[in-house]
Amino acid sequence: MHEVSLAHAVWRQVTAEMEKHPGRRLMGVHVAVGALSGAAPELLEFALGLLVAESQWPQAAIDVRDEPVLLVCRGCGHEYPMDEMRLRCPACGSADIEPVRGTELRLESLEVE
Amino acid sequence: MKERIRLDKRIVTENDRFARDLAERFDRAGLLAVNLMSSPGAGKTALLEETARRLAGRLRMAAVDGDLATDRDARRIAQAGMPCRQINTGGGCHLNGRQVARAIEAYDLDELDILFIENVGNLVCPASFDLGEHRRVVVASTPEGEDKPVKYPVAFRSADCVVLNKIDLVEATGFSPADFSRFVRDLGLDVPLLQLSCKTGEGLDAWIGWLRAEREAVRRAEVPAKE
Repeated sequence: MHEVSLAHAVWRQVTAEMEKHPGRRLMGVHVAVGALSGAAPELLEFALGLLVAESQWPQAAIDVRDEPVLLVCRGCGHEYPMDEMRLRCPACGSADIEPVRGTELRLESLEVE
Repeated sequence: MKERIRLDKRIVTENDRFARDLAERFDRAGLLAVNLMSSPGAGKTALLEETARRLAGRLRMAAVDGDLATDRDARRIAQAGMPCRQINTGGGCHLNGRQVARAIEAYDLDELDILFIENVGNLVCPASFDLGEHRRVVVASTPEGEDKPVKYPVAFRSADCVVLNKIDLVEATGFSPADFSRFVRDLGLDVPLLQLSCKTGEGLDAWIGWLRAEREAVRRAEVPAKE
């Protein structure tokens, strides 16, 4: 329910990057939304679409990708995708688990021409 | 020619900046900042009322309280003896750093031992908004059922302490504390789980003990604020 402000944050970062490439046209924006980030991908895509449409690069395509959670066991080092919300390590049973992917919102790449 | 620029950068939000600033201010003041989250009606305000009564004259405390409307909670907390500023979010489902920064202007942080931030009753959005706090407390209550931790893993995963309130209603609600504990542990959480009742007072000593210990840890700066 706060995807509009997140979209603004994404867009600020996109425009800051584009300033490093003067004269280029933005053609695509790729964003990854972690399953534990607290953001809803479809709402973010919608909000970003509004900003892009009003920008100097209305042709830019928006790709918002779901990023599943990848966990690592601090006990044995085993890496595995999160299955439901049971976070115990399937290899050694430890509960000392840390998510290494899927907790944040990332600007993955831009396409320019 | 089309070209791909690889970035792989975490999105920095406006709230991240406010949170960093708040964390610095809390650290400089040497106070313990606690962010309380729960679903509506779990008992965050009741917990603060009891905390105000039990620590009156021992620790200097103040609170800010987020709600969509009314100042009912702030008045309750103030009546129990803890200064409290109400933040009305309108339709907002969570507190953000900007709102907290504005609300704490009323306080001299150097004169406080603990600042409580009572979030809007909601287990979804508040979890994604860092408010510069040192500790996050998630409050659940027995009438809500045992499975809140697995239904709202983002909030529970971020907790430094889980409080289970209304433990006096275990029989009436058929709640299983053992199942609740298992759900919490299944999230990989190794944090204190405090079962208590703000109504009967059962278990409140452990909560007060936890607060005092965390306050002491932050005062000695043994445990830095969350990144």
